[in-house]
Amino acid sequence: MANGSTTSEDITIELLAFIARPAVSDEEFNALALRIFTRQFALNLPYQRFCQLRGKTPRLVKSWRDIPAVPIDAFKEFTLSCIPAEECERVFMTSGTTRGEVKGRHHHPSLAVYDASMLRHFSEHVMQGDVRLPMGILFPTETLMPNSSLAHYLGLAIQHFGAADSAYYLDQNGLRTAALCDALQKAQQSNQPFALLGASYSFVHLLDELQSRGLSFVLPKGSRILDTGGFKGQSRDIPMDDFYTQLSATFGVDRRQCINMYGMTELSTQFYDAGNRSVPSIKRGPHWMRSRLLDPMTGQEVARGERGVLAHTDLANFNSVTTILTEDVGIATDDGFVLLGRAQGAEAKGCSLAVEDFLKAARA
Amino acid sequence: MTSTSKTDVFRAGYLPGLRDDEVHWKRLQLGAPNDPLTVEVPELSTDQIKTLASRVRLASQAHLKSWPVSDIVRTIDTAIARLLNAQDPYRQALERLLPRATGFDATMVQLGLNSYLQTFRALQLQRFVTEDFANPKLLDEFQARPKGGWSKAIGPDLLVHVWAGNVPALPLWSFVSGLLVKAGAIGKISSSEPIFASLFARLLVEVEPRWADCFAVVWWQGGDKDVERCVFAEADVVLAYGGNTALRGMQDRMPVTARFLPHGHKLSFGMVSNTALSVFRGQATAHAAALDVARYDQQGCYSPHEFYVQRGGQMQPLEFAQHLASELAALATKFARRTLTLEEAASVGGWREHHEFESLRQARHRVLGDASQAFAVVYADTPQPLQPGPLNRCVLVVAVDSLQDVIPLIEPQRAYLQTVGLAAAPEELLALGDALGQAGVTRICALGAMTSPEAGWHHDGRFSLLDLVRMVDIDQSAELAAERFTGYEL
Repeated sequence: MANGSTTSEDITIELLAFIARPAVSDEEFNALALRIFTRQFALNLPYQRFCQLRGKTPRLVKSWRDIPAVPIDAFKEFTLSCIPAEECERVFMTSGTTRGEVKGRHHHPSLAVYDASMLRHFSEHVMQGDVRLPMGILFPTETLMPNSSLAHYLGLAIQHFGAADSAYYLDQNGLRTAALCDALQKAQQSNQPFALLGASYSFVHLLDELQSRGLSFVLPKGSRILDTGGFKGQSRDIPMDDFYTQLSATFGVDRRQCINMYGMTELSTQFYDAGNRSVPSIKRGPHWMRSRLLDPMTGQEVARGERGVLAHTDLANFNSVTTILTEDVGIATDDGFVLLGRAQGAEAKGCSLAVEDFLKAARA
Repeated sequence: MTSTSKTDVFRAGYLPGLRDDEVHWKRLQLGAPNDPLTVEVPELSTDQIKTLASRVRLASQAHLKSWPVSDIVRTIDTAIARLLNAQDPYRQALERLLPRATGFDATMVQLGLNSYLQTFRALQLQRFVTEDFANPKLLDEFQARPKGGWSKAIGPDLLVHVWAGNVPALPLWSFVSGLLVKAGAIGKISSSEPIFASLFARLLVEVEPRWADCFAVVWWQGGDKDVERCVFAEADVVLAYGGNTALRGMQDRMPVTARFLPHGHKLSFGMVSNTALSVFRGQATAHAAALDVARYDQQGCYSPHEFYVQRGGQMQPLEFAQHLASELAALATKFARRTLTLEEAASVGGWREHHEFESLRQARHRVLGDASQAFAVVYADTPQPLQPGPLNRCVLVVAVDSLQDVIPLIEPQRAYLQTVGLAAAPEELLALGDALGQAGVTRICALGAMTSPEAGWHHDGRFSLLDLVRMVDIDQSAELAAERFTGYEL
C-alpha cells in the first residue's frame, strides 16, 4: 500500500514506468489510483477533511470512481500538496480570469511526471510520427511566464519536437506578426510542413491582424495547428465553427489538422482531439487518465448520453489530488467526451436574483 | 380557449383583430425533458403591433374609460370567481398547463393559485383602489377638491406590460392594475410562463365581450430593438419586470415622453427574534420559514435567500437551522422540487462546495443535509453579509446576537432589498421596521407569508395604481372665470 511513508520519488518512478507502458488494464489503473489516493489522504490535511466531509476514506473507497472529486476552486482556497509547498520545484497558477485575483495553485514536487505525461501524449496526437517540425509559438516563453503551465507545456513542445528554426512570436510587446509572416512564407516556399501552436485567443488576434493586412498562406501538406484554452474574454468571442473555418482558410491547413488541446492548470495531463473537421470534436485522454460526467449537484454520474460536468482522474496528479471536478460541461462518447462549454450559473428568470446575475450586475 | 391541447401544443397570446393565419407563430419548448410542452407564441411585425395598438387605444376609450370603476371591479371579480372554481375549464387549463410549462409541483401551483386569486376578489379589489385613491370616484369623474378646483385621475390610453415568468400567474397584478385605471393594454408574455396572461385575457373577453379589443397579449424576443422601440413609441406608460440588464436595454428604447416603471432584481430575506424561538413556537417558526423557501422554489423576488436568527432564545440558531432543514425535507416530499437544469444544478453544487470549504476552516460552519436531497441549509455562526444564493431551496441561516446587528449586513444591497419575513414581538416590530425601511427594505411580513403579498401592497415601495395615472386639474381660477361667462352674469 502506498501510504504516508511512500515518498514522491517512489511514486515518480512508478508513474514514469506506468506512463511508458503501451496500455494498462482497468485493474491496473484502479490499483494505482487507490494507492495514490491513500497517500494523498494521509499526507494532505485539507484534502483529508474534504474526503471525511464526503464520507470517503481509504477504507471505503474501493474504486477510482469513489475518489471524491475536488472542485477546482479548492486549488484557490487550500494548499493541496503531499509535501510542504516550499519544497516543490514548481507551482503552476491559474490565470485567475474567473474570480478576480485569487489564483488556483498546483504544486509539483518535480516536473518529471508532468513532462513525461506531456511528451508521450503530445508525440502521439500532435507529432503523429514526425520527429521534429519547425514551430511557431503564439504564447510567451516560460521565462516570461514562469507560473504558467501552458508556457511550460509549449516550452517542452519546442524543446523536444521543434526543429532548429522554431521560434516564439509573442512577447511583452505583443504579436510579432511580420516575423511570423516571414517564417510562414519560408515554410510555404521550401515546402516544409510547419506547426503553429498557441492560445486560442492569440490565434484570434493573429487572424484579425492578418485579415487587416489582407494576408493568407497555404502551408505545405503535413502542417498543423494546435490551439488551446478558449477565448476567456481575452479576445472577441467567435463561434468555434467559424474559428476553425478561418484558421483553415488563412493558413491553408486542413481542419483535420487543426487540433485543439484541452488542459487545465489543475491537471498534469492534456486531452486532444483528432482535428476539428466538425465541431464540437471528441477529446481523448491517455491511459493514465479517466474522465466521468457528473451531476454537479449530487456528484453522481449522469446517465449515458446526458450532459454532465466533467470530472477527471489524472494519475499524473500524484502530489495534489488525482480527481478534480471541473466547471466544464460535456457528453460522454465511446472513447472520450465532447466538450460543450462552461456550466455558467443559470440566469434567473424575471425579478428574482441568482448569484450569477448578481455578479454580472456588480461588475457592470 | 386552448387552441390545440390534444396535440400538446398551446398557442399563446390574445390578438384582437388578427386572424391566426395572418400571424407568424414561433415554437418554444417548455417543461421538463420527460414531459415537454410546446408553446406557440406570436411573432408580430411592427405594422401588426401598430394596428393592435390603435385598436386597443380606441376600444379602451369606448369600453373602459367610460365605465365606473365599480363595474370594472365586478367584471374582474366574475372572472376571478371562475378561476377559483375547480370545474371551470379555464381553471382546469391553468392547472394542467402551468405545472408543465414551469416545472413546478402541481399541488404547489394549485394551492398557490388559490391563495393568490383570493386576493383579487371584489372586496380586495375595492381595497386595492382605496389604497391609492381615498376617493375612488376620482377615476370616474372630476371631484371637487377641498382647496378649490376639481381633479380627475386618467389612466393611460395604452399601457404596455413586459411580464416576467419566474412565478406562475405573476402578470395578474399588473394586468388588473391596468384595468382598474381603465388603461388599454398590450402585455408581453415571458417565454417561460406564457400561459396565464393568455388564458386570463380570453376569459375576461368571455365574461365581458365588450372588452374584446381593450387589450392584447403578445410576445417578442426580449431585447428585440426594433419591436421594443415600436411598441414603446405607442405607449403612455411601460411597466416592466425583469433582470436589470434587460431593463436597462428597455430604458434605452423608451421615448422620453412616456413613463417607464421598471421592477428589477430584488433580494429578500427573513429575520427571527429569539422571542419566536421558545420551545413551543420554534418549530412552527421553522415551518413557516420553510414554506417561504419551498414555495415556487425561491424563484420570486419576495423569496428569502437568508435567515438571520437571534441567539439567546430557548431554541438556538443552529437548532432553528436543523428544524428548518427537517421541515424542508418534509416539504420536499409534499411538493417536489422541479427538475433543475444542469446550469442550475452547477450553481447549487458550487454554493454547497463553497460552504463545505468554509466548514473545513470553521468547525461551527455547517452544511446540513446531503447533496442528494432537494434542498440545502447552511448554518453560519459568524455574521454574514446578505448575498444572493443559488435559489431552488438553498438557504443560509446566520446566527446574530441582536437583530439590529443585521442592518449593517444588508446595507450594501440597499438597491436590491425588498421583502423581509419577520418573526418578532410587537415591541420590536416598529423599531425594526424603521431600521429596515431606512436600509432600503420595502415590505415586512410574517414568516410564511413572504410569497403572498396582500392586495394593494406597495410593490417595490411604489403605488400600483397611482403610478399609472396622470392627474388632470381644473384650477379654481378656471371655475371662477367660468362664472363670468354665464348668461346670468350681470
